Amino acid sequence: MPTGEYLLEVRSEEIPARMLEPGVKEIATRLFEELMARGLGPRQVETGYTPRRLMLSLAGLPEKEPDREEQVLGPPVRAAYTKEGLPTPAFHGFAKKCGVPAEELRKVETEKGEYLGATVKTAGRPTTDVLAELVPRLLSEISWAKTMRWGHGGKDAGPWVRPIHGIVSLFDGAVVPFALFGVAAGDLTEGHPVLSPAPFRVTGLASYRQELAARGIEVRPAERREALHAGMKERAVAAGGILVEDAALLEKLVAICEIPGVMEGGFEEEFLDLPAEVLSTSLRDHQSALTVERSSGAGGDHRLLPRFLTVMDRPDDPAGRVRSGNEWVVSARLADARFFYGEDRKVGLARRAEQLGSLTFHDKLGSYADKSERLATLAMAICAQLGWKAEAPGAKIAARLLKADLATEMVKEFTSLQGIMGGIYARIDGQPEEIWQAVYDQYLPASTEDAIPRGRTGQVVSLADRIDTLAGIFGLGLVPTGSRDPFGLRRAAQGVVRILLEGELPLDLEKAAMEAVKLYGNRLSRTPEQVLADLRPFLADRVRYVLGLAGYAYDEIEAGLATGAANLPDLKARVDALHRARTGADFLAVVLAAKRIANIVKEAPESPLDPALLVEPAEKDLAAAFAGMKDEIEAAAAARDYERCLARIADLAPVLDRFFVEVLVMDKDPAVRTNRIALLQAIGRTVSRTARLTEMVVDRAGHRAEHRTEQTATI
Amino acid sequence: MQTFQDLILRLSTFWAGQGCVLQQPYDLEVGAGTMHPDTFLRVLGPEPWRVAYVQPSRRPADGRYGDNPFRLGKHHQFQVVLKPAPADIQRLYVQSLEAIGLDLKVHDLRFEEDNWEAPTLGAWGVGWQVMLDGMEITQFTYFQQAGGLELSPISAEITYGLERLTMFIGLAKNIYDIEWVSGVRYGEVRHQDEVESSRYYFEVADVSFYQQLFEGMEREARRCLDAGLVLPAYECALKCSHSFNVLDARGAVSVTERVGLMKRVRDLAVACAKAYVASREALGFPLLKGAAGEAVTVGAEVANANG
Repeated sequence: MPTGEYLLEVRSEEIPARMLEPGVKEIATRLFEELMARGLGPRQVETGYTPRRLMLSLAGLPEKEPDREEQVLGPPVRAAYTKEGLPTPAFHGFAKKCGVPAEELRKVETEKGEYLGATVKTAGRPTTDVLAELVPRLLSEISWAKTMRWGHGGKDAGPWVRPIHGIVSLFDGAVVPFALFGVAAGDLTEGHPVLSPAPFRVTGLASYRQELAARGIEVRPAERREALHAGMKERAVAAGGILVEDAALLEKLVAICEIPGVMEGGFEEEFLDLPAEVLSTSLRDHQSALTVERSSGAGGDHRLLPRFLTVMDRPDDPAGRVRSGNEWVVSARLADARFFYGEDRKVGLARRAEQLGSLTFHDKLGSYADKSERLATLAMAICAQLGWKAEAPGAKIAARLLKADLATEMVKEFTSLQGIMGGIYARIDGQPEEIWQAVYDQYLPASTEDAIPRGRTGQVVSLADRIDTLAGIFGLGLVPTGSRDPFGLRRAAQGVVRILLEGELPLDLEKAAMEAVKLYGNRLSRTPEQVLADLRPFLADRVRYVLGLAGYAYDEIEAGLATGAANLPDLKARVDALHRARTGADFLAVVLAAKRIANIVKEAPESPLDPALLVEPAEKDLAAAFAGMKDEIEAAAAARDYERCLARIADLAPVLDRFFVEVLVMDKDPAVRTNRIALLQAIGRTVSRTARLTEMVVDRAGHRAEHRTEQTATI
Repeated sequence: MQTFQDLILRLSTFWAGQGCVLQQPYDLEVGAGTMHPDTFLRVLGPEPWRVAYVQPSRRPADGRYGDNPFRLGKHHQFQVVLKPAPADIQRLYVQSLEAIGLDLKVHDLRFEEDNWEAPTLGAWGVGWQVMLDGMEITQFTYFQQAGGLELSPISAEITYGLERLTMFIGLAKNIYDIEWVSGVRYGEVRHQDEVESSRYYFEVADVSFYQQLFEGMEREARRCLDAGLVLPAYECALKCSHSFNVLDARGAVSVTERVGLMKRVRDLAVACAKAYVASREALGFPLLKGAAGEAVTVGAEVANANG
């Protein structure tokens, strides 16, 4: 009973873990699209992979493409017949081209005149033929991150990700024949290369799964992930602990096995003297192994158990050889780590920092010793700007220690431990908590999930480090463009923005950056003005990005930014006020008033208000009303209560409305006119204490309708 | 207990059985078996080639005065090159592991992506580090480019780390404790060498002498190339490479100098590669006797001729 099932398996030498998922997704997507375009949409698509096989199955494919009819236009009628009305060679040529008997050609009236026409019928091709043509082409076109050639190196020897060894291609149990790189598709596959290498025949998806399962092979990555994860958690618990989760590593393990065997090993207790960060990094980076935390210790005991868990591409370990081998390697690796740890501690971190002179930060920007000196000064300057007198001495010490761990053996071996290792060594040296934590946390936040550095000292040195890098690289004119950002400046700037926002630090970034530029002396190739011109929009973009992630709308951010970005926590408060206010009933009136004022004032020069020149009652009332609330708005702004500012401005809206109705600003008398503009300018200045409201996008009708109901609800 | 030389003998026998020329270690200092001209130059051009040899590989900066149980300044690689790589090369490799006494039915063998690149040779390839029970035992590479030249046919290079493999099979805790031959430990053969070489490369080697050597050998290589002498030119290039490694171990190479020196070595390697292909072409590619695929026959003939 045909069910329209297509099964494809491509067997190759081991495909890199990182390329499996994208590769199989790409072939599945493209095949699906190509089939849909031919009216051959499958009901279901399934994919799977192991390092040695890519699998794809389709269900519910029709037997053949639908038949098609196509209307084709030929030569103009006058060219198709002679004067005598006899068919010309053009007539016969067209009939032949269309494969249609002469009597079936007809005349078709078009805009350009009468033409010969034909209805060309094409019988749909059998699905198996379509697959035989599509599949090898799409397979060969997969855009692998890196390809190779093999064997004789000519045609049929790549380029592909790895040499291909076998192809199963079955449509309802029958082979869909094609060849790829000289390998013919058929119905034979193989199991695990060592444990079950004998070839076997499959008839379709069900038999394929069954045969693989009989050999312990699971082609679906989700199932392997589940099996590994469950098995590891179980082993961890059995060992009296809890698995330390590592989703990225688990993903890698899934992609390097086809039999999801859990490999559990132990290491000597004495290695537990190493910091947990070192143990887990060594196990992760060198052995692709996860660690196990003690579960017994009440009160946050996060020490590790002398255990590790990883994968083996086999179901069991009958001779215990896999385990003893893994333990042997782990023991050698941890012995190395312990050696580094011992060597590093022979010299205190402060002394270690003296070696930074031979470590280049950047060819043109000097060594890490130079950087450390700049950081010490910059950290002090930041403290001064923030008015943090007590923190300054500690920040200076932390800044000098900050990069010292780059000269340690441990960080040379495990670069991912930079910062962390320095923090650990600083703690061992007896540095106070505020200082060792500052070193430990210096690269935070490294991702959007990370928190910012814990203490004030940590925040200051972290800012100094990033601002120094930004100033230096921008100072060489190396502004990131498009996807090119080799120094990770976007991430650095995002870190700065987040630290300022979440740490609520009213630091003037541009001022701090100019300070940093100054500290480079004559190393930079650009003037401070040029640096600032490049840096300002770059930083604004980072602010937009971070506030956007926090859920603020585009126009709220733009309106806030237009009023100034010298104080980011203040900016955030203003944007937040807009965000809240815009759902209020009066907001539309506020924005419209602001837009009206802006339209009239435009580029008029600033002029002082002279109360004596106020003539009309409406303008006198407006001036009085404004005078009555100006101080309150300024006070609210000073207290960062921007919602209150906006509410007070809303109170002004009716008086403003009356002013615009009853008063003509453009009076004939220039003195009166200038005075009216001056009044509006004064109001405009106060209004934009919160934001440039003209940037706000409002929908008059929609806004009113939407918010009336809310207002009633609030009342 | 499998000895160090058992491993050499078994691997040699196995690969000789595959028609490999059993070549001998190159008699100059090299950092890896790949630098032996029977790999680096032979993978170039259309001629088939199969070779296997042990290559003592010197990495002065890796020396540990004989104190570290796992690290050596000089270790031994067993190097195999099959050109073109036969379709069943992976299977042959697995058989070679069985030939050295590993029962793979009780081990975990995996091929994890590890692409090889040697900037100083203008060479790169695609392949794996072969993991046995979580231990890297072999570097397996399909050469794609060498000396800046695209390769065709493609060679497979298999490099076994002999000390590590011997240690791992016996689960030895210290390199110096493995047996070279029954009754003689590795340490008894090599420890003094490690201690003295470490002292020499880290403390004693005359920096200005090696700087002069680098300059001189670079000039000499150019003179050889001008005289149409490819192999002597390549030997001079290897001398440059070694001088660079010594200077590096002595801490006499700054970051900026490093880039420049590596480029000079690379330029020599690239020039030698081009000259080598031209010289073989001038000879009519002598190993290209039958069809390009008959590597086994060709290799076997050469082996006989040498024997």
